[in-house]
Amino acid sequence: MLPFLKIMVKNLLKGPSTDPFPFAPAKTPKRFRGCASHDESKCILCGICKHVCAAGAIQMRAAEDGSGVEYVLWHNSCVFCGMCAHYCPTGAVTMTDNWHLSHLAEEKYTFCETSFVAFGECSQCGARIQPRPQVIVDQLGTRSPDRFLLCPKCKRESQVKHATDKNLIQLREQQ
Amino acid sequence: MAETYTLPVGPLHVALEEPMYFDIKVEGETVRGLDLTAGHVHRGMEALAMHRNYFQNVTLTERVCSLCSNSHPATYCMAVETLAGITVPERGQYLRVIADEIKRVASHLFNVGIMAHLVGFDSLFMHAMEVRELMQDAKEGVYGNRMNLGQCTIGGTRTDIDKETARFLRGQIEALKPQLHELYGVFEKDPLIRTRTRGIGVLPEAEARRYAVVGPVARASGVAYDVRRKAPYATYEDLTFEVQSDTAGDVHSRAMLRLREAVESVSIIEQCLKQMPEGPVKIEGMAAVPAGESVARSEAPRGELVYFLRSDGSDTPQRVKWRVPTYMNWEALQVMMAGCQVADIPLIVNSIDPCISCTER
Ligand code: SF4
Ligand code: SF4
Repeated sequence: MLPFLKIMVKNLLKGPSTDPFPFAPAKTPKRFRGCASHDESKCILCGICKHVCAAGAIQMRAAEDGSGVEYVLWHNSCVFCGMCAHYCPTGAVTMTDNWHLSHLAEEKYTFCETSFVAFGECSQCGARIQPRPQVIVDQLGTRSPDRFLLCPKCKRESQVKHATDKNLIQLREQQ
Repeated sequence: MAETYTLPVGPLHVALEEPMYFDIKVEGETVRGLDLTAGHVHRGMEALAMHRNYFQNVTLTERVCSLCSNSHPATYCMAVETLAGITVPERGQYLRVIADEIKRVASHLFNVGIMAHLVGFDSLFMHAMEVRELMQDAKEGVYGNRMNLGQCTIGGTRTDIDKETARFLRGQIEALKPQLHELYGVFEKDPLIRTRTRGIGVLPEAEARRYAVVGPVARASGVAYDVRRKAPYATYEDLTFEVQSDTAGDVHSRAMLRLREAVESVSIIEQCLKQMPEGPVKIEGMAAVPAGESVARSEAPRGELVYFLRSDGSDTPQRVKWRVPTYMNWEALQVMMAGCQVADIPLIVNSIDPCISCTER
């Protein structure tokens, strides 16, 4: 017992080392992986998050009228692994530091985050394309902002036109 | 002739509060024989792994066991990377080592803490857990979770340790070092611990070899086998550490060996923080896995961990099979328990640091 006595006295004098939660807030580190959260204004519906989610906590249901996709994140299925946030190319899913997840049993099937992500529209012909949220346009579409908002078909046409225009200019210059 | 009785211990075992069933033949207070029955919490994880894609399996393997929850995905990722021909960037390798060693310290402290609890020395148990809390806080602060770090992914690691985090981690380690030293002294000298654990559950070297035990159990019996040294993976080749070994092979020596290993791990973490080069922590993009087979092994806190992987070229493995360290150590209990007292059973079981969730994956 003797070698331990010193430690015991020291610990006694130190007082409790546990957080006084719920009477005072418990400390939460900045990097804490809590409840996942989805920001529909950044989502491009690529589905990578759903692909890497081992728990099957992410559902993507196509709306009946074809206008978009309902994105459901089930907090009760989530295992807080953070794979979705790691692989999401646009940073639409993030892990918050919120660990206050207690809720009533009757809320069991509603305890999720549901958002609606509308499909984009080709700015020329109006065809359905993947969402083109402003944050993504600012991030990825800076080289040719106009073409970034086109559907594949219109994009091809615009590229062909661009190339022919360039050739014409070159031809004219040569002449 | 004295009569023998069969004493059922379990399925909720006293040492672990995890289900493992022992049929123990006793003659008076002395153990004469032992039968083990597992399978109470079998989860079929190897089958689950065949229904999940390579990325989902990183999360799944992390949940095989909570105490070595970094060794499993790290070894699984190593197997996938070998097959896909991926080279993990050096910084990523170092980060993996750091995560592994933090987990090792926490795991070993947990085990010696439980030993104190089983001896009946609960204040020492509480203190060991308190010391371990430094590592738990480190895990939470650096990785965001106290058990499942979520650090490994195919092709590297998920989080980097920036300057601020490195400072925090160093602070935790600096606080841990004197306490670990002090704890070692207590476990070494305390008369109560010594009387209850010395000369108990002896596993001689020849028997250790015969049963092919792994990890601290093997090393405490004089078999200095450590995968980090025998077949270095990640960056262990560039790190200085001593493979701990002992010859006593009893409960006490196994606990002391774990504490010494924790000290070594602390020094490994320090070296990593110092040597780690700048650069990427993972490969770009998501790799595809071609058809083929691969094997990877590593030194988990409980010993050698082996992963076998077979792929048919699709995004889901055709087979993932893993051999966990604890599996090798169970049978050696036959030798350790022969002739022991009934009261020593939990101590001996705990001294192999058994992981039921690994055994019953
Ligand atoms: S949340 Fe991210 S990963 Fe998931 S579909 Fe949207 S953009 Fe893709
Ligand atoms: S944190 Fe993990 S379990 Fe939760 S939604 Fe994301 S990938 Fe799925």
